Amino acid sequence: MIAVLLDIFWIPIGGFLSFLIFISAINKSIGVRKAYVNLLLRIFEYGRVSIETASKENQHIQNPKTDDKQGVQLVDDADSKEGTNGATLITRDAVLLPQPQEPAPEKPVSSTKDEINFDFEKCLDYVKSGVEAIIEDDVTSRFEAEELKSWNMLTRTNRHYEFISWKITSIWVFGFFIRYVILMPLRVLVCFVGVLFAVLSSSIVACLPFRFVRLSLASLSFKITFRLISSSMSSFIKFHNKQYKPTVSGFCVANHTSPLDVAILSTDCTYSLIGQRHGGFLGVLQRALARASPHIWFERGEAKDRHLVAERLKQHVSDPNNPPILIFPEGTCINNTSVMQFKKGSFEVGGVIYPVAIKYDPRFGDAFWNSAKYSMMQYLYMMMTSWAIVCDVWYLPPMYRQEGESAIDFANRVKSVIAKQGGLIDLVWDGQLKRMKPKKEWREIQQVEFANRLKSDST
Amino acid sequence: MGNKSSLFLRNEEIAQIQEETGFTPNQIERLYSRFTSLDRNDCGTLSREDLMRIPELAINPLCERIVHSFFAESNDDRVNFRQFMNVLAHFRPLRDNKQSKLNSREEKLKFAFKMYDLDDDGVISRDELLSILHMMVGANISQDQLVSIAERTILEADLCCQGKISFEDFCKALDRTDVDQKMSIRFLN
Repeated sequence: MIAVLLDIFWIPIGGFLSFLIFISAINKSIGVRKAYVNLLLRIFEYGRVSIETASKENQHIQNPKTDDKQGVQLVDDADSKEGTNGATLITRDAVLLPQPQEPAPEKPVSSTKDEINFDFEKCLDYVKSGVEAIIEDDVTSRFEAEELKSWNMLTRTNRHYEFISWKITSIWVFGFFIRYVILMPLRVLVCFVGVLFAVLSSSIVACLPFRFVRLSLASLSFKITFRLISSSMSSFIKFHNKQYKPTVSGFCVANHTSPLDVAILSTDCTYSLIGQRHGGFLGVLQRALARASPHIWFERGEAKDRHLVAERLKQHVSDPNNPPILIFPEGTCINNTSVMQFKKGSFEVGGVIYPVAIKYDPRFGDAFWNSAKYSMMQYLYMMMTSWAIVCDVWYLPPMYRQEGESAIDFANRVKSVIAKQGGLIDLVWDGQLKRMKPKKEWREIQQVEFANRLKSDST
Repeated sequence: MGNKSSLFLRNEEIAQIQEETGFTPNQIERLYSRFTSLDRNDCGTLSREDLMRIPELAINPLCERIVHSFFAESNDDRVNFRQFMNVLAHFRPLRDNKQSKLNSREEKLKFAFKMYDLDDDGVISRDELLSILHMMVGANISQDQLVSIAERTILEADLCCQGKISFEDFCKALDRTDVDQKMSIRFLN
């Protein structure tokens, strides 16, 4: 039966598929993805309304059983949710940071013994802020999936909503069928075509005789590869401010949410990539890309050698024919709600910096790669069974290091520009805290501050 | 995309914790989701390391003492959600109309006292105060100065002349402090 169907339909289906692949390769859209995304938005909205009415009904059923007090509290809860979006649990006065606060005005402190006074009250602020950090802190939550305001019909963001009413259940079942049975095989196929294209085209391009021919064809092959790969996740990308698109050699720096960032950015512009050599699926892609264009892949040990890295970067940037290097100075994936400390390395080399802000829409599928929890393959599988990858990309005006500005200050300046444009929270914390323990020096900074407070209070 | 579907609190548990601590069901659920995200190994209890992994807590000079206060009640160095909530309940504002026995002024003071009482014997000795001072300032004030600060503080607060500070002395010393403001976290319902 299926064989007969396939026999009849393989020509139109095959033709349609090749047409889709061709369209995405030349970066044109016939509006299918846009319509798809809009449809999804309407479904989510419908789902949100249904879930809210259903939970209200549940409350009404429960209410008669419990006493009045319970009823009052439920009303309280609904009010507070509106006010805070359910995002925060407490309001905080003092937050400890891994850097000195505003320098206190220097008081003439004569450090004779008798003048330093201590009373028990002085530690209480630290106790309170410590407990507050346990309830809610700025860092640990950044390494976990962002909380959604309403359910997006994926079981993985589950709150057992799929059984709340039969309408929602049927939408969910239908969506499940679409995602796993229709979309996923197609996506795997498109992704496979993309990688195959990368391997073939770059081997051919690498054999071409003239440099300028080779460069422009390599750039084309690079973009087509990533257009295919990103369309295999049904990505719907909006580029803003195209006039600031990186043109000459330099550094393009962006906030980092997932390995997909590379594919997303590369659909519109050619970059040189830099990173560690990987094995497996990524390795195949890396080796293919490196054949045709100047990417920088390091062996595992080499990346630790900062001088070597800086030297390679300098060499690369000095050739104006080389495409800009794409760098994620956070050094790790953050969940797309904030930007964390930028490593100063790429800001030390000099040359122009093109900041780029990327903001994903988590409703369609959370692009954040929680590498502590999921392997690359699991992550890809989750991406291919999500609804879509919807994101905004902003190109920002090129920035230069000012005279007398330290690399760290420059990095912070670029970071705040990206944070502001992307609507992300600008944090001073180091993204490496995902894996590493906080440095001892940071606590010493707090101790210095407390000592100063003690001394200045006493005079 | 953490799949936490298996880790939801049962309604009876919520009701029990609400009874004990005065937190609202919504707050309890939010804190539970925080608890599970701190629980890296998904074992339903937290270890000291789980808490120490919070960077902002780890840079707090009093970090060890604060973390220790969560484990005072447990005998195997793990803290479960109810114990966790009982400690946090000390920090609910006093004004809150939903009174519970854990957030009274006296309970808040007791909590603060235990921060200083390292060996848990009910009095703060000179050495204990000195260790706390040392934690707070590190190497930024000389040992001699710290000793004299500690001795003077004890002299001023010690009303029964034992050379140690009892809980009563401690309360007297903080008589004019707005303990409620200093030891209350503003929870957003």
